[in-house]
Amino acid sequence: MERLEPANRISPKALRLWRIYGGIQSVIITLLAAGLIVATYYFNWPKWLILIGIIVPLLEIILSVWLLPTIRWKRWRYEVREQEIELQHGIWIVNRTLVPMIRVQHVDTEQGPLLRKYKLATISISTAATVHKIPALEVDEAEHLRQSISSLARVAEDDV
Amino acid sequence: MSEAKRLHPISAVMNFLKGLKDAILPAIFLLVLNNDESGTWLDWLPTLVFGVLLVFILVNGFIKWLRFTYRIEEGELRIEYGLIFRKKRYIPIDRIQSLNFSEGVLHRPFNLVKVNIETAGSSDIAQAEADLTAIKKPEAHALEDWIQQAKRKTEADTDSEALESNAHQADEGSVVFRLPSKEIVILAVTSGASGVVFSGLAFFGSQFGEIIPYEALFNEVVEFVQIGVFVVGLASFLLLLISYGIGVLLTFLRFADFKVRLVEDDLIITRGMLEKKQMTIPLNRIQGIQVKQNLLRQPFGYASLHVESAGGGVGDKEEHNMNLLPLVKKDSISGIMAKVLPDYQFDVDLKPAPKRSRFRYFIWNMIITSIIAGAVSWFLWPIGLLSVILVLLAASLSWLQYKDAGWDLQGQQLCLQSRGIIKRTYYMKKYRIQDTEAKQSWFQKRKSLASITSTIKSGLGGASPTVDHLEVSDIETMLQWYEPEKVQKNTKNKPT
Repeated sequence: MERLEPANRISPKALRLWRIYGGIQSVIITLLAAGLIVATYYFNWPKWLILIGIIVPLLEIILSVWLLPTIRWKRWRYEVREQEIELQHGIWIVNRTLVPMIRVQHVDTEQGPLLRKYKLATISISTAATVHKIPALEVDEAEHLRQSISSLARVAEDDV
Repeated sequence: MSEAKRLHPISAVMNFLKGLKDAILPAIFLLVLNNDESGTWLDWLPTLVFGVLLVFILVNGFIKWLRFTYRIEEGELRIEYGLIFRKKRYIPIDRIQSLNFSEGVLHRPFNLVKVNIETAGSSDIAQAEADLTAIKKPEAHALEDWIQQAKRKTEADTDSEALESNAHQADEGSVVFRLPSKEIVILAVTSGASGVVFSGLAFFGSQFGEIIPYEALFNEVVEFVQIGVFVVGLASFLLLLISYGIGVLLTFLRFADFKVRLVEDDLIITRGMLEKKQMTIPLNRIQGIQVKQNLLRQPFGYASLHVESAGGGVGDKEEHNMNLLPLVKKDSISGIMAKVLPDYQFDVDLKPAPKRSRFRYFIWNMIITSIIAGAVSWFLWPIGLLSVILVLLAASLSWLQYKDAGWDLQGQQLCLQSRGIIKRTYYMKKYRIQDTEAKQSWFQKRKSLASITSTIKSGLGGASPTVDHLEVSDIETMLQWYEPEKVQKNTKNKPT
């Protein structure tokens, strides 16, 4: 799209975090695949199952550890302006979201155990009908954003 | 009006019936499950449990009625209920958004009414509404007037009920819409359920012709199976037809005497024959308008108009997506609505999706139905070939989806139109739109197309009309329009 991309990126540490999530997922898939291969030998199942047992974990590792986190991180952008918040995210489908400040009802930050370890936080912005999340911001940045969004949002009164 | 009042005793019966309704499934399960006789006292256990349950529900219904009181005190509607856990719910008068009345079969003989109190957007769903199961009609009207007066901040004597009911008589407002009997019949016949029946009819018609050649081709066993299928088909079709008939009748009863009145700043809908309902929509709670046209109504120029309103209860989905004009000629909508919501423009020229988007509208529908048709034809050769009809249907639907996609901007109003199976046109005001989202897939990007979604509040959630595969520059125009103006620093642009 011609429109300028939102100015800010999320923390580079998010990339590492997503790779860890992808890694955990890959380990589970690999274990399952290993189980399949062993079972194929043991019960004399058709041999092409072994091929699947090799290809699927490989694809999974490539996609969820390397490719998808990279694209997702590159795509994730946000910008908080005085009158509105603009977000951009999505791997295959790129979403551009515009939330006017006057529509924001409240802002929350949350932290899971892994996020806390990396000193990151997720910020979620709620309107009367929708919730938008910016994942993996630096804690300070998230805190600052929450403060500024809620003070900017307070300026305007509510229609709903 | 400050002394605590009970509901009409009939509500004890209603509580009982409601409890019975809720208990009926487990009860049936219980009775069916323990059907084998062993000759001991255990045989009587289900019956015993059932009996105890029945008594419990009866007593519970009675106690519920006994402990439920409501009163008006210090500008609050105060409801207290519960036996062991005494619960008090105090609703400040200015938080009450609207009162909805309904009269069931049990209400009618006693001149009673059920009052549903909707409050403005409480985040706690359970707190968002309260019901008075059965109170006398004059009392309900007195309550209504009292709320009206309190809202107008006129310091009238709220105790004199006579005065209030007089005020109520005078305040009938103007009727903006009435549904004639003929149109109720059309409404009932062309409702969603009918589509299933008509397709069933078409399918059955096609089956009928094929029964004869098969008789010559196959042996008696196959013939027998065919007849078996035929009989089952016939039976299920008859069942469908009967349920359709019942559906038509129910719709007729539901929408009988349908009337929309405009009383000051509220829209009041009354409808129903056996069960009378009255719903109130404050105009300032309206978030957007949806016009729907299904495939049966569209050829005759009929549409239905729904109002999306904010807040309200959890119960009926219908309550937040109110059917303001259940059946109306599409070209008369703007005439009717000009009296009700003059800010909304219903005569708009929609800008269509560009020609090159046609492919995108077709591709997925065609791929999916082709795969299904291919599989069905392969496994059920040759009769499975009939599934090619599915592909043709998908193609015509895709064409309609492409033709019907459109958007329009007019001042403060955004109009988005698209079709799933039903054609939906949303009319939304900028200051009611919660957010706007542009989406672009890799395929869309190659052809510089994109999709748009705007979300308005509807009930406790939201409604998100989407239009797919529009010109990227059009999407950008819409985003630009939606973006708050930067020059007006700290001035709230809040029309009306």
